Amino acid sequence: MVNESAKKVRKKLLLFIFLGWVLLIIGDRLDELRVYQGAQIAMYTIALASIVLLTGYSGQVSLGNGAMMAVGGYAAALTLNNLQTPIWSAFMMAILVAALFGAFLGLAAARLSGPYLAGTTLALAVGLPAIANQFSFLGGEPGLLFDVGFPPERFGEEFTQYKWYFWIATFIALVSLFITSNILQSRFGRTWKAIRGNSLAAELSGIHSSQMKILAFTVSSGLAGLAGAVLAMTISLVAPGAYTLALSFALVTGAVLAGISSLPGVVLGGFILVAIPEIADALAASLGNQDKLNSYLPGLFVSVLLILSVIYTPNGPGENLRKHFHKKSAH
Amino acid sequence: MQKALETLLIGLSTGSIYALMSLALVLVWRSTRVVNFAQAGQAMFSTYIGFEIASRSQIFWLGLIFAIVAGAVLGAGVDYFFMRVLFKHANSGPAAVVAPVIATLGLLGLIRSIVGLTWGGEFRAIEAPASKDGYTFGEITIPFSPLNTLIIVTVAIILIILAILFQRTNLGLALRASAYAPEIAQLAGIRTARTRTIGWAIAGGVGGVAGMLVTSYNFLTPYSLDLLLVFGFIAAVIGGLESMAGAVVGALVLGVGLTIILNYVGTSLVFIGGFAVLLLVLLIKPDGIMARGKVRRG
Repeated sequence: MVNESAKKVRKKLLLFIFLGWVLLIIGDRLDELRVYQGAQIAMYTIALASIVLLTGYSGQVSLGNGAMMAVGGYAAALTLNNLQTPIWSAFMMAILVAALFGAFLGLAAARLSGPYLAGTTLALAVGLPAIANQFSFLGGEPGLLFDVGFPPERFGEEFTQYKWYFWIATFIALVSLFITSNILQSRFGRTWKAIRGNSLAAELSGIHSSQMKILAFTVSSGLAGLAGAVLAMTISLVAPGAYTLALSFALVTGAVLAGISSLPGVVLGGFILVAIPEIADALAASLGNQDKLNSYLPGLFVSVLLILSVIYTPNGPGENLRKHFHKKSAH
Repeated sequence: MQKALETLLIGLSTGSIYALMSLALVLVWRSTRVVNFAQAGQAMFSTYIGFEIASRSQIFWLGLIFAIVAGAVLGAGVDYFFMRVLFKHANSGPAAVVAPVIATLGLLGLIRSIVGLTWGGEFRAIEAPASKDGYTFGEITIPFSPLNTLIIVTVAIILIILAILFQRTNLGLALRASAYAPEIAQLAGIRTARTRTIGWAIAGGVGGVAGMLVTSYNFLTPYSLDLLLVFGFIAAVIGGLESMAGAVVGALVLGVGLTIILNYVGTSLVFIGGFAVLLLVLLIKPDGIMARGKVRRG
């Protein structure tokens, strides 16, 4: 039995390594803009994985993932700027601080049911980024620089900055998705699902539901914090303007679109989140590039997609396909 | 002493606006079991309508009436065309629990982008119906202004109308009954679905008033009511989410509390203070300050 699952994990590890290798080759063949967008997709997959873990598995709604990302981003920037440590330590710090923050919040969250938790995290998403404006060591409105440095020289002259971002982001995304997928398939993932399904029955089977919920909140916040640090890397700074309410909304949209309890779906979600502004920009340009269109068309797309998917495929497109085939085979 | 009195008065004035928002949230929560985050969007849309009317006619009160009507129509429309469809479709699977919350969030985004595409993101201002300069007593001018008085009076009138509606009319009885026990209400011959839509309309109208009153002393943008939503929610939680009286009391307490922080500690801690209050209430008294040993439903 133990051997069996160890074999599975090893297989998955090989798959992830293969995936990484494919991505590296693809990264070499794309132009700068696409490589940059690849880094963004990697960032979104991490953030979406944190929502899948929290909402899809443990059944807690958080609308504040943007705020958690901000915590991670600021933690990473403060570490890098003040301690001059290597970059990986900044990312570790982002996970650690965001997870601690999440654990603290989880203490309150575990006692809250749906609407209370949603409202509390929404309040956090509205207010937390704005708090950075008030404290000078957080850099105020312009924020803090976050510079991971140039790519190592041994990669050669051709190796661009964006490609370096892409490498780092992809590597981090692959590692964190690998770990997340293992967590979700472990005892913890099953326990979270049980709590989501019926918390009373789960408690009767000896599960400490509030402890497990806090744990879910902590792990999810750590992931979100990591995503926040990766986001900070791609734009070279952390500022309140990068972690808006709109980001939190976009993440929820991406997670719902991709199927809120499907981890592989997060890649699709990441693609969609990067594609939407692109499409909206193109459309705005063809409609005359007005200021209004540029700022509100992406939001319109995101919300229409969110509404349609929450009404018609609330459990993700995968679920609908499965149902469809189920019906077919039943007849 | 004088500063304490000022703080109390200003606090009551801001708190009374929070009261309207938190009432709107509580009304919808009681009937539909959804915290309607789109309320900020609905209120914003109504306020833009009110702004158009008020700036064309130069009459604030005409704008207010139009904002109420627009809010009510939009609220009813959201329930009729949106929530009903949602509850018909999204009722199974892992997303069923979170679908309504996420849907209202999507709606908030939708209304925001439509308003943004129509009116743009510029800062708009409505001419206040009363002076913003504080009252002067001899040598001293206090920050409490005729506008603040007017806000308190307006909210008081709205609250009295709502109280009469809910306590003294058949419609109010139907609203309370279908919120308290939908199935029994239905058996007693109340059309609960229609009653619910009326509840949404009332909430929408009340939200419209809140938006107009905030905009009488603040700028209007597609984002300007987000904080009102958050504080309205906190107030509703202080009151226990179930009780309308609790929502009003919670809002006044929150308004005064935040003004105390603003006047005695500093602006930077206002939001943190509000958030801390929310967490404290949730941890210590999750049923709200009005609870009398009743178990929270939902």
